[in-house]
Amino acid sequence: MKQIDFFAGKQVTRRQLLAGSAAFGSVFAAAGLTGCGGPASAAGVRDIAFWHLLSGGDGIKMQAMISKANEGNPGFTVHPTVLAWGPPYYTKLAMASAGGRPPELAIMHASRVPGYAPGGLIDPWDMSLLAEHGVTPQSFAPRIWDKSQQNGQVFSIALDSHPFVMFYNTEVAGKAGVLAPDGHLQAASSPQEFLSMAREMQKVTQAHGLSFGYLGSGSQMWRLFYTLYKQHGVDMELTQGQPMKADRDAAIESLEFMASLFDDTVAAKSGDISTGIAEFARGGSGMLFSGVWELPTLKKAGLPVDAATIPTLYGTPAAYADSHSFVLPRQLNADDEKRRDVYKFVSDVLKGSLSWAEAGHIPAYQPIVQSQAYRELTPQIHYANAADIINYDPESWFSGSGSDWQTYFAENVQNVLLGRDKAADGWDAFVHRTNTLLSRPNPV
Amino acid sequence: MSSLATSGRTAERTASSRPTRSRPQPGPAPSRQARDNLTGWGFAAPFLAFFLVFLVWPILYGLFMSLTGKSLTGANDNLIGLANYAEALADADMWRSLGNTLYFTVISTVPLVIVALVMAALLNVGLPAQWLWRLSYFAPYLLASTVVSLFFTWMYNPQLGLINDSLAKIGLPKVAWLNDPNVAMWAIVIATLWWTVGFNFLLYLAAMQNIPHQHYEAASLDGAGAWRQFFSITLPQLAPTTVMIVLLQILASLKIFDQVYQMTAGGPSGSTRPVVQYIFETGFTGYRLGYSAAVSYIFFGLIVIVSVMQFLITRRRSA
Repeated sequence: MKQIDFFAGKQVTRRQLLAGSAAFGSVFAAAGLTGCGGPASAAGVRDIAFWHLLSGGDGIKMQAMISKANEGNPGFTVHPTVLAWGPPYYTKLAMASAGGRPPELAIMHASRVPGYAPGGLIDPWDMSLLAEHGVTPQSFAPRIWDKSQQNGQVFSIALDSHPFVMFYNTEVAGKAGVLAPDGHLQAASSPQEFLSMAREMQKVTQAHGLSFGYLGSGSQMWRLFYTLYKQHGVDMELTQGQPMKADRDAAIESLEFMASLFDDTVAAKSGDISTGIAEFARGGSGMLFSGVWELPTLKKAGLPVDAATIPTLYGTPAAYADSHSFVLPRQLNADDEKRRDVYKFVSDVLKGSLSWAEAGHIPAYQPIVQSQAYRELTPQIHYANAADIINYDPESWFSGSGSDWQTYFAENVQNVLLGRDKAADGWDAFVHRTNTLLSRPNPV
Repeated sequence: MSSLATSGRTAERTASSRPTRSRPQPGPAPSRQARDNLTGWGFAAPFLAFFLVFLVWPILYGLFMSLTGKSLTGANDNLIGLANYAEALADADMWRSLGNTLYFTVISTVPLVIVALVMAALLNVGLPAQWLWRLSYFAPYLLASTVVSLFFTWMYNPQLGLINDSLAKIGLPKVAWLNDPNVAMWAIVIATLWWTVGFNFLLYLAAMQNIPHQHYEAASLDGAGAWRQFFSITLPQLAPTTVMIVLLQILASLKIFDQVYQMTAGGPSGSTRPVVQYIFETGFTGYRLGYSAAVSYIFFGLIVIVSVMQFLITRRRSA
């Protein structure tokens, strides 16, 4: 406070300024010396550093869950550090882990764990310690549990799954006559059915039937593409030293269908993610393909909004998804007591993840999903079945949410969606780019 | 050349004369000189420490790293010889990004020099309120690259942007500025031009105002018009400045990263990804530090070649 009084005086001489800045500097230096573990804490209370990449509405929910866990556990205090989503976060987490002094706990996308676990950047979880707090493998949905393991060890504990789904405006759908008797959107089971449904909605909105912004976002293009690709019932495999294994016909068909959406009737020819969300939020379209995390934004817009998984257009129900998962970055000197605190904290957060569901995510912890409170959450409950049909990115050190690989996808596919390139050319170029990555030395 | 040689000789003489003078009294004089030297080193020490720790050491360490398989994750740190260089030279993506950097350098340097010259010449004609023009031409240069990128990203927005809106109003077709692989680099050049032309403009203006007025007087007495004077007096007198501006501009343009990373992130379709971004991607998000160090050294070699070429050209011209 002294510095503030100091500068409040109107006339500041050069000497005063120098003295002031010296004092200011020494305050910072002192803070740096004492404050390594975050805010100074009372004796006996252990400080747990926790990194995550959740901002906006997700960040507020996460902060509330952390505060609640801290209140319930006088023995430790969790101090979150929030970093920007995507490359900035993963670069810093990898560097901190490689340096041996990372945070005690971090959030990662489950799809990014294959790039971290084999290199020894994260430690496996001890399920017997988690079981002490009542969290067991049976606490998770099967697909989510499968994803948490690498070579038979559990490397990530999922907080949620957040699939790519379809939101729809019930008012527009009702006027367009595409609602089923139960009030849900009619099921479309082929690309043609979906397109004609979208055109019906376009007649109501006079703008577009569907909103899907993708320009400049590899992640967004990939989410829809991989949903449609997996609906063909085919796999994609990335093995270092081998060419990419993928079904070319299914990929091309998916891309061609995507490109056919952007005809300025079904959906806007070009637009980025926020343009798409804004269009749907102001009633300019009847449907929106989006991640579940946009739900709070849409609710705030006061829309009559409902949701469902993306219609099964190619026979096999499938949804692209990822999970926010807890990981233990490898410590040079792991503190056993702090590790135990981390287990307690994670189990507390899992058990309190109903509030996480309010942000749109599907909780990974099954007792929450089966609770009455969750069943009453709409429209969350209408896409909760997604947990059984979710598909994570094919595993490799370079794939996953916010990875450069998704950027490479955009580089080769955006022109297909804009109608400038043929789907086959775009896909082949992407495969070629992927094969280059697969032929290089694996840095992990 | 001759004057340089003479001054060199003079310096030699003064340097050698000092020990001769101090020879008769071996006692206090050398110790005083030693003390002077020590004081000198003392003053230079802070700089030297930073220079060694933050420039010399990283350069040497980077060179060493480029010979290893070093990864950000700490995996396989072993020496692998020139394998990284061999891989990089066969890497189509590296060549493409190098090509993008060179392309940007060429198409940005030309307007950044010519527009600066034109702006300075216009102002030098003697417009009123000189300070206002100087300020408004130079002001964008003071903005951070992030601010400039945000401005232009908004203005280039295909649906809501100022530029497309204006184009539509006068009946021209809309352009997908940052989303069209054929246009994106030019869009970045335009943003860069607006942002940094002020610096070159200021250099040109200062040089123009240093041209002795007598030259113009004499020329007008001989009946030379304004254009004649510009081409026969102003331009030749500006030649050393032009050489310097071109040199500085090429080096500045080769460093291109900020605007691209913030406006297109290298897209669309990799059409704007400069080599610096490729180095960042392979090293930090792709974990391969050794490989990205090798690409940096290839880029460094290219800069050295450009600089040497430029040095040779300018030396021949001034000789």
